[in-house]
Amino acid sequence: MGQIADTGELIQGTLEMLILKALLRGPLHGYSVAEWIQQTSQQMLKVEEGALYPALHRMELRGMLKSQWGTSDNNRRAKFYELTAEGQKRLHVESQRWARLSSAVAFVMQAS
Amino acid sequence: MAQNLHEFLLRLKALFHKHRLDRDMADELAFHQAMLQKRLVEQGVPRPDIDAATRRAFGNPSRWHERLRELWQFRTLENLARDTSFSFRILRKSPGFTFVALMTLALGVGANTTVFSMIDGLLLRPLSVPDSGRLATLGIYVVDSPTYYSFSVPLFRGLEHRRESFEQVFAFGSRTFQVRGTSGTESVDGQLVSGDFFSTLQIPPLLGRTLTPIDDQKGGNPAGFGVVISESFWQRWFNRAPNVIGQKLEFDNTVFTVVGVMPKRFIGADPLARPNIFAPLAAEPVLDGAHNLTDAGIHAWWLTVMGRMQPAVTLLQANAQVAASTSAVLHGLASPEDLAHLEERRMHFLAENGSAGFTYVRTVFRKPLMAVFAMCGGILLLACLNLASLLMARGAARQPELATRLALGATRRRLMQQLLIESLLIALMGTAAGLAVAPMVSKSLTVMLLAGQGNQQVDTSLDIRVFAFAALASIVAALLVGLLPALQATSKGLNEQIKSGQHTTQAHEHRRVLPKIMMAGEVALALMLVVGAGLLASSLVRLYRSGVGFDPKGLDNISFSLDKLPLKGDAVLQFYRQLEDGLRRQPGVASVSFARMVPFSHFVWDDDLAVSTAKPVHAYFNQVGPDYFQTMRIPIFTGRDFNWSDTASTGLKVILNQAAAKGLFPNRSPLGQIIIDVNSKPVVRYEVIGVVGNAKYEDLRATAPATAYLPMTQDDGNQGPSYNAVIRTNGLPGPLANAARALAQGLEPAIPAPMLTPMERTVDESLSAERTMALLAFFFAACALSVTAVGLYGTLAYATARRTSEIGIRMALGARRPQVVAMVFYQNAGVALTGTAIGLLAALLASRALSSFLYGTSARDPWVFAGSIVALALIASAASLLPALRSARINPISAIRCD
Repeated sequence: MGQIADTGELIQGTLEMLILKALLRGPLHGYSVAEWIQQTSQQMLKVEEGALYPALHRMELRGMLKSQWGTSDNNRRAKFYELTAEGQKRLHVESQRWARLSSAVAFVMQAS
Repeated sequence: MAQNLHEFLLRLKALFHKHRLDRDMADELAFHQAMLQKRLVEQGVPRPDIDAATRRAFGNPSRWHERLRELWQFRTLENLARDTSFSFRILRKSPGFTFVALMTLALGVGANTTVFSMIDGLLLRPLSVPDSGRLATLGIYVVDSPTYYSFSVPLFRGLEHRRESFEQVFAFGSRTFQVRGTSGTESVDGQLVSGDFFSTLQIPPLLGRTLTPIDDQKGGNPAGFGVVISESFWQRWFNRAPNVIGQKLEFDNTVFTVVGVMPKRFIGADPLARPNIFAPLAAEPVLDGAHNLTDAGIHAWWLTVMGRMQPAVTLLQANAQVAASTSAVLHGLASPEDLAHLEERRMHFLAENGSAGFTYVRTVFRKPLMAVFAMCGGILLLACLNLASLLMARGAARQPELATRLALGATRRRLMQQLLIESLLIALMGTAAGLAVAPMVSKSLTVMLLAGQGNQQVDTSLDIRVFAFAALASIVAALLVGLLPALQATSKGLNEQIKSGQHTTQAHEHRRVLPKIMMAGEVALALMLVVGAGLLASSLVRLYRSGVGFDPKGLDNISFSLDKLPLKGDAVLQFYRQLEDGLRRQPGVASVSFARMVPFSHFVWDDDLAVSTAKPVHAYFNQVGPDYFQTMRIPIFTGRDFNWSDTASTGLKVILNQAAAKGLFPNRSPLGQIIIDVNSKPVVRYEVIGVVGNAKYEDLRATAPATAYLPMTQDDGNQGPSYNAVIRTNGLPGPLANAARALAQGLEPAIPAPMLTPMERTVDESLSAERTMALLAFFFAACALSVTAVGLYGTLAYATARRTSEIGIRMALGARRPQVVAMVFYQNAGVALTGTAIGLLAALLASRALSSFLYGTSARDPWVFAGSIVALALIASAASLLPALRSARINPISAIRCD
């Protein structure tokens, strides 16, 4: 089913970071979050629904997101998620960490 | 932290909006599905494939819900609730076990809480005055004797004057005042207090002012003697009149002015007294007239002295300081010879912690209470051991159930948690039951213990210390009871359990030594308690059998207080002769006499007697009327009784008891001989006119002391005009108390209502500590025996039930019923024997602690030990025989088939 390309599992922390990033531009509902990640990653990352919603709810409980019920483009009741100040702070920390980690991994892999 | 709080609040919200949460989740998923389908349609996927694809993406919707919902729950809390309700159901399923468990624990915790609340009320509870920790009680050390806590007026005044490491020093003495009211005289409990009494205790008055050093002067304050009354007396006597301040109150023939009313919570510095009248100490010479205690100087020891320490002074420093100032205080009070004598006995003052106030009763009952507390500890331990072994046996029987639950995915932790909750429930409910009855029981026990100690009030209500103690006891109990069985029950390999059911357990049977050790420990503890009870009971029986020297049965004492009446000399005798005539005519009365002192009533009069210049004999005195010995049924061996014509003019007469006669006249007849009162000036001589049997005087535990009886007809009036009527009744006496009251008031209208006390009650009350201890010990021993019986029975019954098929096979192979009975029976016999041996050793070692409470009984009395072992053996056998007999009724065929 919805694997994340062929890179294997998306580790939890990474999924949370991607969700935070997705919401940086404004409130979105769960479906749009998944879609945005998929499109932006050029179909490389596919977010599984079974992981997305628990992550969203967990992040809401921890205060990184807040939610609001609103109306979608097609006039349906939908739950919109939004970044909190805590979430923005978290995104900042996480993206820095990710940059350091990925460049470190790149160095190691490029070594001859 | 803030994050946790956020999470907690959201979860709390979710808890109260469960339905909305569910609906929202469903909506959110439905929306997602709709969006997914829309996209698939746009991509041109055929209709049937769309549904399949969505279903594939989502899987089982209820699992989804479950996962999300779990996020929003308090997991531990809800598990706890689930375990609790499950445990309740398990306990309800076996009501017999639950009942026994609850009762055992209620007994253990209840007994401990009861006795602890008595200890708390009597020994620990601080006075409810500000900063009670700074209070100290003063005492007197004399080599080779217990600390003395009574002071005389001059000693106290010396200490009050010096003060030194104390901010204030005060003294008080309890007594009864004869208060004159409109409808006769009434006896009211009160205290004589020194000037700094109220300023030290720092409780402000409800009305008016308290007494000050100005009131505590000869003649009182410039306006006369002031008095402070209690709130309850204000209510009863003055009907809460707001203008009570300034009103007159007459007691002991002296007029006082009420200056203040103290609130109900103020009870002075004696935690057991409830004084209603506080009068200045300086008024004592006026109240008591010619024979007052103040002028008796250092010969009257009756005051309790306490002080409040200076802020920077520790108790140790205060103690050292009062000890150092001893000789300075004594200087000038005692003669040089007396001082040298006191020096020789290393007499000095001391200071002790006084935060709980001071009461004489404490010194008497500290040791018995501690002994009873130790017994209670034994009972609690026994209860816990018993429950733990029962739970263990039950755990073994529940092995298949636990194994199944493990197999279905429960973790060991969850199982243990649930088992511990089960025992915690038992512990909590048991404690609650124990706590519910504790106040009532401790109240009645206290009444019984303090019987004969006058009007004492012990506050045994549950306070914070008692609750803390009960909580601690129940938690310890729950852990003791629950932990081992839970560990044991969940420790076995799961697979072998579930594979082979009850057959495998046999292989483990020999490894189960722990339950055996616990049951043996229980038997040992029970034996110790039974031995203790046996020793105390046989000591009490011996005390009663030792006899008092007179016949207390059918004997009543009626005390008359004439001290405050203006009767003198012949008028007093006239009053009593008329009283005697009146009482003798009452129905059921056989004979009537009078006595100054009633035996065992805490009043003592002693002096030294001698024959001319021979070595004096220390003797106790009593003044009695004619027919006293006949009324008491004390035999007259030689000589004659007193009669009404033995008056002052006929020469002073005395009747000796055998002990005194033997001491004074070792080898000749005392009749007609003259003896002298050694300490009298001028010398007083008595002619011996008779010898009577020995009778005990103040202490039932001691042998009858040398006693001299003087006739009331030759009373010199020094001891005041109050006597007790001694009345022998045959069969059922009429309403004697009312008759006595009517008679007395007919003769003297101002006399306070006389008090009637049956002599048997006086004897019982003089043994109240022994009686209470023996009763409690007996009760505990009975409980220990029944608890042990239940334990032995229960564990064996469980063990046997699990061997049903094994026994069936044995019988099918030819074992006969008696063999089966013996096999099961011996399983417990070993445990009981080991326990008895251990208990016997422990009891031999521990019983010595009881020896100071025993009268005429060795702490190793072989009969008591043998009897206890027999009692235990009988109970243990009965408890073991029942399951053994039941196992013999097993039908082999159905036993083998059922597995």
